[in-house]
Amino acid sequence: MELNANAFGRNSRKALLDKTLQEALGRTTGRFQAHRDAAVAAFPEFEATRERASRIKRDVLDHLDTYLARFIAEAEKRGTIVHVARDAAQAREIAARIARDEGVTLAVKSKSMASEEISFNEALQGAGVTVVESDLGEFIIQLAGEAPSHIIAPAVHKTREQISRLFERHLGEPPTDSIPELVGMARKHLRAKFLSAGMGVSGGNFLVADTGSVVLVTNEGNGRMGTVLPRVHLAVVGIEKVIPRMADLPTFLRILPRSASGQAISSYVSIVTGTRRAGDPEGPERMHILLLDCGRSAILEGKYREILKCVRCAACLNACPVYQSVGGHAYGWVYSGPIGAVLTPLLVGLPEAAALPDASTLCGACADVCPVKIPLPDFLLELRSDAREQGLKTPGEIAAMKGYAGVMKRAGLLEAIERIAGVLGQFFTKGKGIGGLPYPFSGWTERRDFPAPAARPFRKQWKIKRGARG
Amino acid sequence: MPYNAGMDPKGPIPVSLFFTCLADAFSPGVCNATVEVLERFGATVRVPLSQTCCGQPAFNSGNRKEARAMARKFLLTFPDEGPIVTPSGSCAAMVKHGYPVLFRNEPRMLARARAVGDRIFELSQFLVDVLGVTDPKSDFSGKVTYHDSCHLRRGLGVVSAPRKLLRAVPGVEFVEMEESDRCCGFGGVFSLKNPQISCKMTERKVERILATGASYVTSGDLGCLLNIGGLISRFGYPVKAIHLAEILAGGTGGLSSFAADAASEDARPPGTIRRAGGR
Amino acid sequence: MVNERESLFRRLSAACGGHDGAVAGEPLPGGAPLAPEGDRVALFEKTFTAAGGILLRAPVEKTLSDLGETLRAEGVTALFFPEDDAASREIAEALVPFGPFNLTTAEEVREGSTSVTAGFRTAEAGIAETGTIVETSAGGKTLLPGLLADVHVSIVPVTSVVGRMEEALSILAAGTPRNISFLTGPSKTADIEQTLTVGAHGPKKAIALLLG
Ligand code: SF4
Repeated sequence: MELNANAFGRNSRKALLDKTLQEALGRTTGRFQAHRDAAVAAFPEFEATRERASRIKRDVLDHLDTYLARFIAEAEKRGTIVHVARDAAQAREIAARIARDEGVTLAVKSKSMASEEISFNEALQGAGVTVVESDLGEFIIQLAGEAPSHIIAPAVHKTREQISRLFERHLGEPPTDSIPELVGMARKHLRAKFLSAGMGVSGGNFLVADTGSVVLVTNEGNGRMGTVLPRVHLAVVGIEKVIPRMADLPTFLRILPRSASGQAISSYVSIVTGTRRAGDPEGPERMHILLLDCGRSAILEGKYREILKCVRCAACLNACPVYQSVGGHAYGWVYSGPIGAVLTPLLVGLPEAAALPDASTLCGACADVCPVKIPLPDFLLELRSDAREQGLKTPGEIAAMKGYAGVMKRAGLLEAIERIAGVLGQFFTKGKGIGGLPYPFSGWTERRDFPAPAARPFRKQWKIKRGARG
Repeated sequence: MPYNAGMDPKGPIPVSLFFTCLADAFSPGVCNATVEVLERFGATVRVPLSQTCCGQPAFNSGNRKEARAMARKFLLTFPDEGPIVTPSGSCAAMVKHGYPVLFRNEPRMLARARAVGDRIFELSQFLVDVLGVTDPKSDFSGKVTYHDSCHLRRGLGVVSAPRKLLRAVPGVEFVEMEESDRCCGFGGVFSLKNPQISCKMTERKVERILATGASYVTSGDLGCLLNIGGLISRFGYPVKAIHLAEILAGGTGGLSSFAADAASEDARPPGTIRRAGGR
Repeated sequence: MVNERESLFRRLSAACGGHDGAVAGEPLPGGAPLAPEGDRVALFEKTFTAAGGILLRAPVEKTLSDLGETLRAEGVTALFFPEDDAASREIAEALVPFGPFNLTTAEEVREGSTSVTAGFRTAEAGIAETGTIVETSAGGKTLLPGLLADVHVSIVPVTSVVGRMEEALSILAAGTPRNISFLTGPSKTADIEQTLTVGAHGPKKAIALLLG
């Protein structure tokens, strides 16, 4: 997917003016959040399960070499072909080669953020393969030629009218304003694709190390179709998705759907292990797993290791007031919201996405809901500090900060400045708020007054009344 | 959290006031009110006059070199024993959680930072959790709603103390707003770097405030209140932003920074004790 | 790609090298929630229904007529079941008079049948915690009835109902079948205007017949 993260400012201003998007965001994020909160409240063991999930993930990351090796060995034992890609270019090459070697011309894909990272569809199209997105939201977005804007609800910014027009134009369906009819049209169209596709492409929510299994969690059932019907199954998964044991899976199944959509469990969980066995009436003849590093091993090495615990539930997006205000496209890459603001700079390099860590008030709502306890606000702060160290801050900001520190080091100097500001403030504003200020405060005063400095700061008042004894 | 080891509940309680640079410069009334309330409950308030800023603007924007300089200065300014009280959840959280990050590679400073972190309290937290205040003895009257500052609520875990105090003021009709724990959009430098998003969040906050029909919106953080108050002032909405300390002290003026009668309120001699019912 | 793999593991080992010496997979505190109290089967009825499923329980005569009615209401005209699934065959065949229903096969449905179908299959387990039907490919069993049909009818012997997911997995994951599927309620999507709609890809209705 094309990277446009440093345009966050411009992107977000556009999003704030987009009325359709604003309506959709209001409708969806609030609902997701309410459902999530209700599901968590109805599950008294949530906190204990969350703690356990976090500990398991931490253990996996601390020993990823061990667990990943175990996973690969178990998967290969059951006939799965495992590939490893260092970066996106290599991953595209491998994916295209798999499709060519398997003689595939049509592939049906279920939702996978990892595949977005490597621009999977373009790679296969380059190899002459048609890729059809089968997740309804992704399918709509694909028809519209856009990028998804929410991890678990890619088409939140599309209205039914817009979708009906897309189906009219691309599928030749009659116009309708009935959502069930629209769903039915997509079902019919995609069912035909599932039955004729040579390859099903999926992501993977979890990789089970002790069995070599890939676990897919969906509500629509597309992940299930793509791993049962086509003759080849390709799973594109990040190396960090490993969990140690099949016995650990229920822990994650208890937190992921609750955090994502407020369900006690998603409609479909598919645990797939290897290829069709002797006597099986169906199932893929070949199964490939493409494991992506794409920056993950570098993250593992440093202070941001815990970001790799993420299970992509999107709870942090729904809880984030910034995301709620501007939606996912503003973040300019695959991942949005708080997880995107941290993960994108780590995967693509901070210089390419330094605007994202600044796109937060550090309110902490994300960390409150994250089911694997990732300290997202701490990481945002850490990235802002890295930006300074890597020379990515504007000279203006650095000068301002040096000036600020210079003043604040001396209470006497601060007091003198306060006195001047107080006099000027009283003179120009008569003590009322200030309605207009120059850059960098001009944005603030567009629709808000700026406070007037006090005529006599507290320190001065105290000195007068109680002396300088402190 | 209980921090009263070695404190004689009946004797005077020495407290250091960290008045914060923001309140010093923009709302001295908040500092005065804080002093007034602390003294009302038997504290002897000491004000180290060389204090300035905790360093949060620098820390939150990733400028740790400058933040560290501020933190060092703060640790020198508040060296003694005894609690440090501040009318700001956000500054208290900075000292408690930010300083250990700044000094993570300096064991000696880290130990000092942790020790100071254990001594710092936001005002309502100190009143309720340490002094055990149940009746703030305030003659404030009016309909009030409360905004949870993010750093007071999530950073310090202070949720019920300010509410308990507000409910205990006889003249206060307390009403919860929807989404009281939703960020007001201030976020320090965020409001300068992304002013449109910030303002959108503030608008939603003010909508929720207006929906309560309250005459006052209060909070434990001046940053939030200046932000919310700035929007209220611009549009002339019929509600005043007022700091929790001011309500507890008994003043009904609201934040002085947006009011024309500010000067007189500011000039009120600090520490003038306005006893309950004595206005 | 062997070289690429080796170099990945070199990077990983270098990155993980700094860990505190704990052994991978050390036991963790806090296990699964307590087994649900009370009657597993009663809980299953409750959770299955809460997930949007329709639960029918004996007596058989009444169940058949209720089921026939539900299928007719969905417009079902054809029924199919796995060749080797005697319980499903029995129920489906007994249902024909409550129709008009034809019997068809999974292969026909897969070839692209235009009729509205109900797929029957005996579940390997029911999970009371979540109201989940478990189906696996173990022993060459087919998953197509629950995959392709418009309405999925699961035959659930009460003896197969377990309390928690762990129990189902510990029984069914032995030998790691190619596919273990947890099916909970109908196929759904909320991708259009966040409006919950059934039948995105899989069954629009999930029905369980509790037997025994
Ligand atoms: S960071 Fe946490 S809350 Fe956000 S998507 Fe990942 S797991 Fe979910």
